Amino acid sequence: MSDAKAHWWFVGPALILMFLILLMPIAIATVMSFTNYSLGNPGADWVGIDNYVKIFTRSTYAKMFGATFRYVFVVVPLSVGLGLGAALLINSTRRFGDFYKTIYFLPVMAALIAMAIVWEFALHPTIGIINSTLETGCGTFLESWDWYANGCERSFPLWLTDRDYAIWTVAFIGVWQGFGFNMVLYLAGLTSVPRELYHAAEMDGARTSWERFRLVTWPMLGPTTVFVVTITFIRSFQVFDTVEAFYPQGGGPSKSVYVMMFAIYEKAIQQNLMGIGAAITVVFLAFVMFLTIVQRWLVERRVHYA
Amino acid sequence: MSAISLQAIKKSFGKTNVLAGIDLDIRDGEFLTLVGPSGCGKSTLLRILAGLEAPSSGSVMIGGKTVNAVRPADRNLAMVFQSYALYPHLTIAQNMMTPLRLRDLSFTERLPIIGPMLAREKYRKLQHQVQETAKVLRIDPLLDRKPGQLSGGQRQRAALGRAMVRKPIAFLMDEPLSNLDAALRIHMRSELAELHRSLGTTFVYVTHDQAEALTMSTRMAVMMDGHILQLGPPDEVYNNPNHIRVAEFVGSPKINLLPGELDTSGYVRFGDTVLSRISAPGSAISVTIGLRAEHLALVEPSDASALQGRVAYKENLGSDLFLHATMKDGAQRVVIRATPQEAATVSVGNDISFARKRGEAMVFGQDGNRIGLADIVPDSMSEVA
Repeated sequence: MSDAKAHWWFVGPALILMFLILLMPIAIATVMSFTNYSLGNPGADWVGIDNYVKIFTRSTYAKMFGATFRYVFVVVPLSVGLGLGAALLINSTRRFGDFYKTIYFLPVMAALIAMAIVWEFALHPTIGIINSTLETGCGTFLESWDWYANGCERSFPLWLTDRDYAIWTVAFIGVWQGFGFNMVLYLAGLTSVPRELYHAAEMDGARTSWERFRLVTWPMLGPTTVFVVTITFIRSFQVFDTVEAFYPQGGGPSKSVYVMMFAIYEKAIQQNLMGIGAAITVVFLAFVMFLTIVQRWLVERRVHYA
Repeated sequence: MSAISLQAIKKSFGKTNVLAGIDLDIRDGEFLTLVGPSGCGKSTLLRILAGLEAPSSGSVMIGGKTVNAVRPADRNLAMVFQSYALYPHLTIAQNMMTPLRLRDLSFTERLPIIGPMLAREKYRKLQHQVQETAKVLRIDPLLDRKPGQLSGGQRQRAALGRAMVRKPIAFLMDEPLSNLDAALRIHMRSELAELHRSLGTTFVYVTHDQAEALTMSTRMAVMMDGHILQLGPPDEVYNNPNHIRVAEFVGSPKINLLPGELDTSGYVRFGDTVLSRISAPGSAISVTIGLRAEHLALVEPSDASALQGRVAYKENLGSDLFLHATMKDGAQRVVIRATPQEAATVSVGNDISFARKRGEAMVFGQDGNRIGLADIVPDSMSEVA
């Protein structure tokens, strides 16, 4: 009877949607990554793993991986650490807590593309506020620092256009923009730490705040940290808008800021090379998947969910 | 030596006064219970003693020294919390080890991996201490589990173990049994009392349950609205309450309170009944007569001093039966204790007769304070009623 089929009506819509909007695009991208398809072409040739071979042999893509990993491994630890630090500080103040929260959260709310323009001005080699501020320090004790002395003698770095500095500058902006979000997550996590545990720690003889942090705060924030680190990793891998805003013409000085998202955009959209674009996408997905799995596996064993 | 003394402790949160000048001397080795309804300030007092809260004024002395400025970690008191407050990410053994680690090991000795290698002997000693304590509490098979894997009773023991392991000068307990189910709670009462006897350490125990206070303590302090109304051994507090609110709070079922009058010659009357003991002669006032359920007994209707009532509810506890009776058409309600045999023929709706046992009634004045009664000297006795 129709009863026997009723379950399909319950799970059907969810299954169809999941298949249509989640699984199918990934499948199509995977298939496409083995072809040389271009948008508008009637057909495409099967090129096997050619696209992947290119990704892992050509120097452009080596630079892509270099830029991506530099960015990720600077932004993740710094924005998680600063987020936690800011959350702990705000949590410990009685007054102005909301004020600080708002300030640190502002960069998260602001559109990064608009902020990029502001940063571009600030970092401008001649009219930018950063370098002109640095110049006022010339002639003081700061010159005993070699780097500073060099800057005074010749000029301070061209932050955004020097290939030795560009990726770190972009990463700095990524940290500036991202840590407020982590701070909010950590603040939420801190509210769920039972106050009695701190009292128990105090009675047990935890005299310094470091001891209380090690004994109570950090372990109790375990679940929050898993979430924060995962989400920050994924967001850092996805960095695109700053790069696009600063370097619309392809990846910064000698492609030192050629991050994966930008590579996908450049290949697939700008140059209409769908095949290679899809291949980078698949590699990107694999990275994110791998990191997520490693992290869950690593942390799940140690994290306590109360 | 390690006696604890609280002197003129006052505490207010904003405009709310929680403690209104508490003086309390806790003797070395006693089991002192602070009991009172919620909001009476008993937990606050305990937390002030622990140092987790600072008093607005007054001083806390431990072993003759004022410790107001000493932080909780340095007062050498141990506390058992209502929620147990075990560290959820540590095993029971690690939980119990924590106070020892933090007190007995230096910073380098506490470092992971290197620490245990540097101070192998010390670690062995601490682990031995944990094992010993666990054996006393019979939680040694649970040492490798985490708090989340334990039942309420086991967690309670683990929290107790964490407090016991380092031999503090006093145990402070903040309603440690209130998260347990009824049967376990009653069982833990006797265990705690036994533990107190075998350890000989001072226990300061906070509860809102008068039964816990009566069953376990050496002395109990009944607190209301930031005052200690009565401090004494449980027997004395139960049998000889000095205030009507103490009488009402302590004892289950609640004490029966009947409106009465005190006449100028010092006799107390309730309707036609006159109590045999008298107070000092004075002006006539209205008083409240308190009679516990066990001070009333079923009698034949022919008894001269009998009161009449109608059974509204029969509360059967197995060994005892409490008859809730209404008097004067529901204006008054009393509870009478009876044995199952006596009450076998009584059912709800029946009229019953009951009488007080002589010499047990307590009389409270309008301000709630107890009015002392004395037996009448035999020669002046004249039958009044």
